[in-house]
Order: sequence, then C-alpha cells, then structure tokens
Amino acid sequence: MKISLQVNGAPADVEAEPNELLVETLRDGLGLTGTKVGCDTGQCGTCVVQLDGKSVKSCLLLTAQAEGSEVTTIEGVGEGRELTDLQEALRAEHGTQCGFCTPGMVMSLSELVADENAAPSEPEIREWLTGNLCRCTGYHSVVRGVQRACAMRTADTAAAATAAKE
Amino acid sequence: MTIAETTSLLGQPIDIREDEQLLRGEATYVADLRLPGMAHMAILGSEHAHARINGIDTSAAAAMPGVLKVATAADFAGVMPLPCIWIPGGVESHFPPHPYGLPGSRPVLSGDVVRHVGDPIAVVVAETPKQAAAAVKAIVVDYEPLPVVTRADRAIEDGAPQLHEAVPNNLNAYWTCGDKERTDRNLAEAEVVVELDLVNQRTINSPMEPRGAVGHYDQATGDYTLYASTQGPHNHRFLLAALVLGIPFNKLRVVAPTVGGSFGTKGYLYPDMPLVLLLSKELNRPVKWVDTRTGLMNSTVQGRDHRQHVVLGGTRDGRITAVRCTSYANLGAYPSTIGPGVATALMGRSITGMYDVDAAFCEVYAAFTNTVSLGAQRGSGRAEAAFLMERLVDKYATEIGVDPAAVRRQNLVPATKFPYDNGLGWTYDSGNYQENFEKALEMAGYADMAGRKAEARGRGKRLGVGIATYVAICGVGPSTRMSQEGMLGGTWESCNIRVHPTGEVAVTVGSASTGQSHETIFAQVAADQLGIDPATVRVYEADTLKAPYGQGTYGSRSYSMAGPAIALTAQKIKDKMCRAGAAMFKVPEDKVVYANGKIFAEGDEENGKTFAEMAMAMWYHWYLPQDIEPALDETTHFDPPDFNYPFGTHVAVVEIDELTGETEVVAYTAVDDAGNIGNPKIVEGQIEGSITHGLGQVLMEAAEYDDEGHLITSDLRTYALPRAADVPFFQLGKTVTPTPHNPLGAKGAGEIATVPPAAAVANAVVDALSDLGVQHIDMPITPEKVWRALNGTSGAAQ
Repeated sequence: MKISLQVNGAPADVEAEPNELLVETLRDGLGLTGTKVGCDTGQCGTCVVQLDGKSVKSCLLLTAQAEGSEVTTIEGVGEGRELTDLQEALRAEHGTQCGFCTPGMVMSLSELVADENAAPSEPEIREWLTGNLCRCTGYHSVVRGVQRACAMRTADTAAAATAAKE
Repeated sequence: MTIAETTSLLGQPIDIREDEQLLRGEATYVADLRLPGMAHMAILGSEHAHARINGIDTSAAAAMPGVLKVATAADFAGVMPLPCIWIPGGVESHFPPHPYGLPGSRPVLSGDVVRHVGDPIAVVVAETPKQAAAAVKAIVVDYEPLPVVTRADRAIEDGAPQLHEAVPNNLNAYWTCGDKERTDRNLAEAEVVVELDLVNQRTINSPMEPRGAVGHYDQATGDYTLYASTQGPHNHRFLLAALVLGIPFNKLRVVAPTVGGSFGTKGYLYPDMPLVLLLSKELNRPVKWVDTRTGLMNSTVQGRDHRQHVVLGGTRDGRITAVRCTSYANLGAYPSTIGPGVATALMGRSITGMYDVDAAFCEVYAAFTNTVSLGAQRGSGRAEAAFLMERLVDKYATEIGVDPAAVRRQNLVPATKFPYDNGLGWTYDSGNYQENFEKALEMAGYADMAGRKAEARGRGKRLGVGIATYVAICGVGPSTRMSQEGMLGGTWESCNIRVHPTGEVAVTVGSASTGQSHETIFAQVAADQLGIDPATVRVYEADTLKAPYGQGTYGSRSYSMAGPAIALTAQKIKDKMCRAGAAMFKVPEDKVVYANGKIFAEGDEENGKTFAEMAMAMWYHWYLPQDIEPALDETTHFDPPDFNYPFGTHVAVVEIDELTGETEVVAYTAVDDAGNIGNPKIVEGQIEGSITHGLGQVLMEAAEYDDEGHLITSDLRTYALPRAADVPFFQLGKTVTPTPHNPLGAKGAGEIATVPPAAAVANAVVDALSDLGVQHIDMPITPEKVWRALNGTSGAAQ
C-alpha cells in the first residue's frame, strides 16, 4: 500500500506492506539506518523517532499509522550536520559509549527539552529516560548532558538579557 | 640522545572524538551494512533443551517465496566444529571432540542431538530478512525429547542426563587452587567459622546491539570477508580459517564495524560466522544475518552461574585465617570459546581479594547442562569471587560482634607486602589498600550512619550500609603465564605507527573497540608520547587487513596492553628521528634532544626541526646515512611480564521500604584504583556503567530456566535491565598506584567496577535487616524476597 509521510522535512511516498513497521520502512525502505533495532518487544528504545514532535518507538507503530505525519529521525535533527545544543551537551558529558542507544536517546530527549525554557529535574529526566535502555553509561553522563543543555540555555538567555539591557 | 619529558596530555579528560558521529547516528553497525546483491539468513534454533533429531523436513521452506537455500547439518559435513581455546589449566578435562585433537565446542549446525533451546539446527537464506524468517518457521523437525538438566550440581550426579559422549557425568573439569591441607587445618582450628550457601545467578550480558554477521565471498579472488560484531577480529580470523573452515589464513579477512557494546559476549566464535561465509560462497552473494533480542538471549553466551558453599575461619578478635570455596560452575550446553577458563581461574584464584589470608582453597566442578553456553560477563569470575568473600566477611563480623569495616581494616594486605603472592596463583603487582579503603569510607560518611538509620526509620525505611572491596586481575596478558592457565593462544598486543610525510600519524592497534573510545585514547597516548597534537593522529583497528595482529578487547585489557605497545612504538619513532637528527645537525646522537615534538641539537633549539619537518626529511631520505632506513614506520608487539591488579572499595547505602520490600540504592561511593589513568572522562564513564551493571545483577537481573530448559526470561519484558530511574548519581573517587608491569603504569579499568557492587548492596540489605536475624538473601534481591524476610515468611532468607 502507498503511504504518504513527511520524513525529516521532505515528502516521502513509500510502498509498505500492511503489517510493515515504521522502523522497517525507515531503515530498509528509506535507508535511514541511524534508527536502530535493539529488541523485539518495544522495551529498549533504540528505535525512538519523533512523530509530529512526539517521541515514539518506531518498532511499535505500523507505517500505515504514520500516514500524513511528520516523522523526524536522528538524521533530521538540527540544522544540516550541526549538533543541536542537546547533542553538544551530551558530547561534552560523554553521554554515549558504544552509541547504539544514542540515536533513540537523542530523539527521546529532544522532546523533553523541546521547550526553550525546559528545566526538568533530575528525577524527571530519569523518569523520562525509562523508555531508553543503555548498558554502557549507567545513564549518568546522559542525565548530566540534559542538565548541561538546559543550563547552557539559561546561561545564553541570561547573557542575551544582559546584552539587551546594555 | 636525550628524550626529554614531553607534554602531559595523558591524564587529561580530552573530548571523545567518536562521540559526534555516534550522536548523529552516523556510525555503521553490522545491521546497517548493505552490500550489492546481499541475501539474508535466518537460523532455526531448537525448541527443546535436549532432544534427538529423527528427521528434518525442509521441503515446505524451500518452496517459499524468495528462498535461495535451506541448509542443515548434512550440508556442512566437511566443516570442523568450533574449537574451545581456554581449558581449565593444569587438570584433566573433557570436551566434545575436534579433528585436530583440540578441545571442541559445537558443530556449526546440530544434526543428531540438540542440547539447549536455541541450539542452531538449520538455516534459510532468502532475498529479504522477512522471507528468511518466514521460511525458517516452515521447517519441520521431528524431535525425540530427552531428559533435561539445567543445574551444574545436578548435572554431575550419577544418573543425570548425559550431554556429550566424550564428557562422563557432564564434568568438564574438577579444578582446584590453593592449599587444601592448610586451609582445612586452619578451619578445624579456627575459633570462629562462618559458612554460606550462595547462588551467583546466571545473568545475560545484554549489549544493546544484538550480534550480527555478513559474509562476502569474492569468486574472482577466492577471498572471504567476514563483517561481524566481534571483540577480536584477529582471533576470529585465525580460529575460523585454520580450525573451522580449513581455508588458507591468507584468504580470510575479518572486519568489525562499529560494535554496539559487548561486555564479554562478542569475543566468541558463533555458528553464524562460518555459516554466512560458507553460504556466501555457495550462493555467490553476500549473506547477512542479524540476531533478534530473543535470539540473542537463546544463543549468545551468558554470565556468572555458580552455586557455592563457602567457609571462612578466623579468630575471635577479627583475624581471618582461612577461606574455602566449593563451586559448581554451569558451562551451559557447549564450552564457549573461553568459557571454561572464565569459570575456573578467573573466579577461583581471586577469592581472597584484598585480604592477607593465611590459607585459602577453591575447588570448582565445571559442568555442562542444557542451557545456553556460558562465557565472560563484565567482571567475570572476579565478581563472583568478590561476592563470596565480602558476604563471608560481613557474616564473620556479625558473628564476632565487630564492625565490618574494622574486620576489613585488620585483614587488608599491608602496603609493604607487594608484590604479594595470594597463595591462589596471583601475584598482586602493587597496591595501597589502606589508603583506598579509608578514602572510600570517608567519602561515604561511613562513621555517621547511625543517625541516618534512625532518621530513615522515622520515614518507614530501613537504611543499611554495605562495604565491598576487590582486586580484579586484568591486563591479559603474559602469554606464557596464560598458557599455564590453559589458554591455547598468545595474549600479547600490538601497535604500528606510521608517520606520514606531512607529519600526520597513523596508529594501528590489534585491539578492537566495542564502545570504549579507542580512537580517542590511543590518539591521546601517541600524541602524548610524541609531543604532537592529537588531532593529527588517526587511529585504525578492528580490520585484519589493516591492523597488525592483536588479540582484541576483553578483560579490561586495551589501555594497559595496547597503550604500552603504542608508547614503546612511539619511542622507536623518536629514537629513529634522533638518529637522523644527529646526522642532520652533525652532532653525536647523545647531543640530540627530542622535546615536545621538536628535534634539535643540544643548546640550539632555534635551528631544530619540527616533527613534521623531520617526517618529510625522512620521507625524502636525502643525504641521510645508509644505516638509517627511509621513512618512519615502526611496530611493537607487547607481551607484559605479568598481569596487573586494579582494586577498590565500594560503599552502598540502601533504603528498604518496610511496606513493599523495595530496595532503593540511595547513595553509592566507589573508590577505584586503575593505576595511571589515560583519560578520566572515558574511565569514569566506564566505572559508572560498570556499577550500574553490578546493581542490575544484585537487584533485578536473572536468567531463569524452567525444568524443561526453556529460558523464561528471553526478552526485555521478562529480563530486567537497570533503567535510568533505578540508579542515583554515584560518588566516584580514586587512588593511583601504578603497575610496574608496563611503561604507562596503567591497570585495567573498563569492567573493574562491576566486581564489587553486588556484594556491597547485598551487605547493605542484610545490614538493614540484621535485627530480624537475616543473614543472607540470594540475588536478585527482589522486593518479594525482602518482603518475605521482613515478614518472616520462608522462601528467601537464610
């Protein structure tokens, strides 16, 4: 069946089986292999993408269910190949080791900090991350990365406010 | 010549160069590989844990859409079984056969008998992964079920189901270390004796990336290429070419693309590796196989799994005089590539940890059962050792009414006693255990726990504190020493450094990262030693075509094995530059100075050459003496004189909810000593991950088999991994005791912090429940078990 999607800002008309999972369409059909598959049951979170700005597990969604939606994958994050402030903060905190869970983490956390003024507490960040498993980092550097991203924005805002006053 | 101190880049938390690519999702893992004309393989695993196969009907599968090939064991009659290369050292052992007289492991496909659920029986290759998966389900196998045994202690009993003809009573080996007579005498004479029966449960390593393999046979050249998620491409090349496929070594290349974690699972030979190569040759197309999570849980090596009776003897005033361990180690259905060594030496020789004990003895019955094969898991052997010792020490402290910290303090190996022979086979290289121990206690606020306990009690929580110390043998290793441990292979490491005419540097090592930031740290070592900008250093590894032979990454070895190989190679580069400098500056060699990437005649830095200028001069080789060869290209193979022994002290504070029995780790302090550290950012990240892994074992993880041998925790719904909300931020500290066994003074680091957390938390839980008379709770310490202990209901606590 024909499914019309917007993928990373561009229209994508794909031919998909009725039982095809969104992750299969993204990886096999569109060659967007940044989205990973780490389990068969929707637990690991390595396949998280955003559907109309909300993070979803693309292994738990049929492609047909995404008809007409805007899908953002790790390849579509940020301007060109520039790292977003979240990615930059994760890099600064070394919030990735083997990297297999990382695209899913970034997609999930991008929603958490989508609001410019987002300031999630440590428990909120940890709770948010329960859908993303990581075996390398123990999550510490990831949580610190989110905190750093938010702190960087606050600092930027403060600097901008100071500059505006002057 | 004078080699001055260069920069101090080592020890700096420089940014991790791999991270940007990973954060953009641009790294290529096996599952992401696409070769032109690629076909897809699926594997049929056994439904039964133990059965005779009376027939396989593949006709329906062969007729399904897209199917290119269906194969069973009969199709691979000429292929040798996989070998096992780490046998229990120094004792009689029994293995399935291999035609070269080596210990055998398993055939590429099982034909007559299957020995665990998931045991590979047949494969399908089809145009798409879905077609292959569908066709595999259409294969009909006529099984005749056989009796099943899943526990090592039961497998060696008379009358137990027999797995392998060549292994009487399923006993791979009875292995011992230490002084039995002296230990038994000390125990008999001891004023106090404490005992525990422990189950160090089987766990599943669970890297986030399941394994995968792509085989590519090139008909034109006759070359095979294997792309696989492996920790050791060179070893896999040798074992596959020489001992499985029987093809020329020259014809096989093994490449590890980006590997998504391993924790001990990806250093092994698995049937899928020869299968994709053989089927690629037969079909003249690249063949790809990628595992599922449930597939991984039923095929990839699992960890731990010891049942133990352990005994400690000591004086009334706190001096430990003897430790004894009897362990039943479950090897699974087949010996994995190195499983038997993991289950014996790594555990047995480590049981006394940081303590100076007069006599110790360990005996291990390593047995085959109808479960997935056993292998290493982050901290393997050493974690089991630390668990038994640290649980015993706490029980002993309770028995004699002395603070557990005081008992430990009294028995630590004194700093003056190094090198220290632990009487079990290890000679500890260096250490200052007292400094490490006191630092951890101080950071954790150990002295102030009474007030915290009272405060928690007011909130309906029971607070407990637990200490665990450890020594973790690392730096595998000295090849001859490893041969004495039964390793059939060398365990050295290598490095090649090429200096390009531009002054850029290519560092190639035999190791292979599975997520340990090798490109960053190895560039950092080379740049530090050569006094150049790390940005000009490129690191290559994990491809047998490019890299000098090496053993890969395992046992926290890469920094303390490949790191020294890089440092020694850099020294050769510097020496050669200085020899050329002597000719260029027309001074004796001992008047040439190499400092911070510059070469000059003593006292004349102004007319010196930069590293890049020297590289270009030696590339041209104009007017240089004949005895100095052109170019800069040096290789070192580093075989250390002995292992290295990192150590540490961890303190866990838990709160137990009196209503639900839930255990929360509220504070965790870790002071680890890995000698000189190259990049603290990498090491701290690994320590945080390791502790979390250890907390997983003690609180939630367990591979559970039912009596028929079905793994009932075969996906991530039923097998619990720690999530972000399960752990607090940890408090990390370190002490630094360099090893004398390599020029960097570096000890292993990657997995060491997985060793003590289970013991620290178990001790903390027992501490919290001590007034109820609870002396032990088996792992995983679930809310149910704790609730039962709180409510005096039998079934969990001793």
